[in-house]
Amino acid sequence: MDPLFTIISIILILPISLVLGVLYSFLIRKLNARFQWRVGPIIRMYSDLSPVIGSTRIWQPLYDILKLMGKDTVIPGSAHKKLFVYSPYMSLIFSILAIFFIPFPGMPLLSEIPYSLIIASYLIIASIMFTILGPVASGSPWGAIGARREAELFLVAELGFVVSLFSVAIAKNSLSIWTLASNMESLPAILLTLVAGTTMFVAMLGKLHIKPFDMPEAECEIVAGPYTEYSGKLLGTYFLSKVFILYAMVSLFIAIFLPPFSSGFIWLPLYAVAAVLLIFLLAVVQVLNPRYLIRKALLWYLKIVVPLAILSLIVAFAFVLGWMVV
Amino acid sequence: MKYSADAGLVDYVRQELVPEGLDFNALRENRIAVKINAADAVTIADRFVNKYKARLIHETAVDLEGSGFEMVYIYDFSMLKERLVVVLEAKIPKENPSIASIANITWSASWAEREIHDLLGINPIGTPDPRKQFLPYEWPNATESGTAPAQPEKGEKGVKDMWIPLGIAPKDSYATLIPIGPYHPGVIEGQTVYVKVEGETVVSADIKTGYHHRGIQKLIERRGYHKGVFAAERVCGICSPHHGLTYVTACENLYEAEIPDRALYIRSLLLELNRIHSHLLWIGVVADVIGWKTGFHLTWGLRERVMDIIEAITGNRVNYGIWRIGGVSRDVSQELAEKALKTVVPLKAEMAALLPLVAAHSVVQSRLINVGPLSQAEAFDGGAVGPVARASNWKIDVRADNSPHAMYDPKKINWQVITDDHNDTFGRTLVRVKELLVSSDIVAQCLEYLVKNAGEVINEPKMIPVNSEGIGLNEAPRGELVHYVRASEYNNNLPQAYRIRTPSYRNNAVIPKMLVGANLADVPVVMGSTDQCLACTDRVEIINEKDGSVSSMTWDQLLAMSRRAKVIR
Amino acid sequence: MSAHIKILRQVLSKYSSPMTLNYPSGVNPDKKYSQIPEGLRGFIERDKEKCIGCRACYMVCSGRATKYFDVGDKRTIQVFHFRCTYCAHCEEGCPEEAIKMTKNFELTVTDRNDPKAYVNTELDMLTCKNCGKVFTPVKLEKRAFERLSDKINPRVKDVVIADFKKGEGYCMDCRRSRGVMMDAHTKKHVWLEVV
Ligand code: SF4
Ligand code: SF4
Repeated sequence: MDPLFTIISIILILPISLVLGVLYSFLIRKLNARFQWRVGPIIRMYSDLSPVIGSTRIWQPLYDILKLMGKDTVIPGSAHKKLFVYSPYMSLIFSILAIFFIPFPGMPLLSEIPYSLIIASYLIIASIMFTILGPVASGSPWGAIGARREAELFLVAELGFVVSLFSVAIAKNSLSIWTLASNMESLPAILLTLVAGTTMFVAMLGKLHIKPFDMPEAECEIVAGPYTEYSGKLLGTYFLSKVFILYAMVSLFIAIFLPPFSSGFIWLPLYAVAAVLLIFLLAVVQVLNPRYLIRKALLWYLKIVVPLAILSLIVAFAFVLGWMVV
Repeated sequence: MKYSADAGLVDYVRQELVPEGLDFNALRENRIAVKINAADAVTIADRFVNKYKARLIHETAVDLEGSGFEMVYIYDFSMLKERLVVVLEAKIPKENPSIASIANITWSASWAEREIHDLLGINPIGTPDPRKQFLPYEWPNATESGTAPAQPEKGEKGVKDMWIPLGIAPKDSYATLIPIGPYHPGVIEGQTVYVKVEGETVVSADIKTGYHHRGIQKLIERRGYHKGVFAAERVCGICSPHHGLTYVTACENLYEAEIPDRALYIRSLLLELNRIHSHLLWIGVVADVIGWKTGFHLTWGLRERVMDIIEAITGNRVNYGIWRIGGVSRDVSQELAEKALKTVVPLKAEMAALLPLVAAHSVVQSRLINVGPLSQAEAFDGGAVGPVARASNWKIDVRADNSPHAMYDPKKINWQVITDDHNDTFGRTLVRVKELLVSSDIVAQCLEYLVKNAGEVINEPKMIPVNSEGIGLNEAPRGELVHYVRASEYNNNLPQAYRIRTPSYRNNAVIPKMLVGANLADVPVVMGSTDQCLACTDRVEIINEKDGSVSSMTWDQLLAMSRRAKVIR
Repeated sequence: MSAHIKILRQVLSKYSSPMTLNYPSGVNPDKKYSQIPEGLRGFIERDKEKCIGCRACYMVCSGRATKYFDVGDKRTIQVFHFRCTYCAHCEEGCPEEAIKMTKNFELTVTDRNDPKAYVNTELDMLTCKNCGKVFTPVKLEKRAFERLSDKINPRVKDVVIADFKKGEGYCMDCRRSRGVMMDAHTKKHVWLEVV
């Protein structure tokens, strides 16, 4: 496509992804709150309060980040300074870079290049890697335990994540996200979408720290986990990168598993519906579950995700070899 | 209701239980005070615990000003004779005070003896666990009037070493200890639990509460009987009416009390409403500790409705302030009772629908089953009380054995004691869930009585005779709660001594045992499983090791110290 | 899994009506403080007209929130809300039923000395005609006499009331020293008989 258009859309996608990421987090919070018999961030502020605090609180997740940006940042004496300070920024940069490789309806961005699937998944991994590195550098035992849990969880979740992505890639014989996202011919591969999509969904729970897989952030056990020593701007940066990762995961899911929704601009409404549904499912899972012990979670992943991953690979190969004409 | 005493009991106690007794004093309600020689305390304890299977309720000491100290041992004999409680009193001199330790016979005396040594300097001779209780382990040894207890010799460990954790001085093994606390988000109480871990498995643990004494006992000794009830209520925010009622029960035992039936029903009503809200709160907290925010919000949502009923009945949400010696200060009008009944019945249905689901949740079960095991024998020896003991299949409930001055008469109110044989955190959850339903039954029955009947709610108290003693026992949501009051020798409307023993005091003592073998992530769950409730208080003093001078810090100094961290803007 | 679904149903049951209440309108959006039940024990309120300054509320106050100050010829009875435990002992103890607990509970002030945190009642005191000592609130003297006079044995009522009039305005000590002028004085063998 036109390089000028690509540049413009790259510039455009930044605010779009920020807004959508914030909206997604808002939605998770709001749904969680309502499921828990609470009010949550208020969509239409009460008339008597709106002059004081504005007419809506939809942007509450963003306000939280902005608030952190304005606070003092404390660097513990025991920390490895450079790694401690740069990790949040690196995490943010990688998550933003990942976004450039994931299409949005009407904007292929960089996803047209042949290996964009590999690049995007590596960028997401890199972003998460830095949420492990920073805490390790912080010198806090809680940070270290949190980082270790994060790493363990990440390794297992990664399996489902990669296998599900690549089984689709194998089936459709392409490593370019754009091709996968706009490839209408293989649309009726419902079985594949189901199996690989479920695998990906479960992997997403681990990556986004949705309960029961939020052990890295278990505040009752390990204080704030990886973020224990972080404060102010650095913490805000981490949270910002989390918002981008949320957006990236959701849009990647839609691009790969719900094919034409993120290709043409006309699909935007369906894209939105799919995103909201996905967020809704995440919120329901989050609400219904306590946190696993890390050991139990790993067992659970081995019991559920590994078979699912193998199954999706089998389905993908069957698809390639033409065993299955669905 | 009039509380009477069984006249033949003194003879029984004199002949059967304590032939060594010097002086027998029948207190009200089958409680018998026996003066003994300090030298006999151990043999009597041995006979009580091992022969009669009596339970040590509390051990404490009273400072008699000029004439020395008096050790007070309170034993529960309710399984032998109805409501029988034996109070042993042994005088010891003021100089170099010491008493033979009974912690080797029943471990439940251990904390009490350590506390007595901390506060009064009475040396428990031969104790298996001579460490400081409320003071820091490193605290300089000699207290005001006492000397340090002898350390047990190396290699020669007591029979009870299963209870003794870590072999601590913390200096021994700083690197391998993980301190959970003093303020840990899992259990937000002022305490530190030291756990020694191998990998993620706890091999040994010790609990160190802070210096929790807030001076409430002393305050009650100064304020007089009528005002004391409000101080007692403020021992704990969650089970505040239980403390108030136990205080009132203890004081009503000082004189020949007669309490109107309607007041008794109102008391039971509020106690049980309180138990409902406390147990709901606990389920919420445990749900939160295992990371289930939804469970937390659902149970606290239900709890809010209980609180509303309480607020409508008493006018306050937390410290009800309606207990009076001789009755209650506020009547529950019939309309109010009817209205409350209309809320309680559907509430019970909702709890019956929701709470078993929580217990059946697979992830919840995976976090609770086999976590924090405690067998019945350990519960008895360690002195566990309340739901913790009942979850170890030990049928102990003060409401049934030795009920406080409220309506728990099985002839008038239909209720039962819940036990469970899981012996773990899951069992404790089940016990509390079932108790919630039993409690709402009691509440409904009390409300029905209040709707149908009318009457007085308070009888004027009578004069309190000198030298009488009262013991208030009550089943608080966390377990058996004891208030011990001794009227002054002078006729001055002030208690000479007031002692409170809270259930968490006992249950905390068994926590280190329950922690052994747990996963590190389970530590907050085990600690939470006893529903511990401590004064969120601690004190800091800075001792100069070289010259022994003591100083404290001001607010500004603390602020300056915390700001020394490097800040980038 | 079935437990999950049942819990989901519970969770959804209150989706449209969360437990959180609006503040301060409570359950009823049109009325302020509609969540506050009848009989809530909030601040105490003292009826200036009824209070006679007898200090009974000070005696029974369990939180030591009630204090009194005699300054000049004024007595101030004061309640400091931050110390009040809302126990209603003073409401029960006041002989004149001057104290009522209100439903008002909001005690957010930025300064401990904010007048909102105090309830002060000022009473005039009597000054002794003889020695000039300030001794008791005017109303207390009056009310005590009223209360007593109902109970005096009618046989000696007139004498006692006349005596009282003679002693009016004198402090305790001065009244005692003027005892010889009184007809109901024990030395004159007229016994005060309280029924
Ligand atoms: S009349 Fe009532 S309010 Fe006034 S001082 Fe006496 S007790 Fe207090
Ligand atoms: S309510 Fe209780 S604490 Fe408050 S002023 Fe009255 S007596 Fe004192």
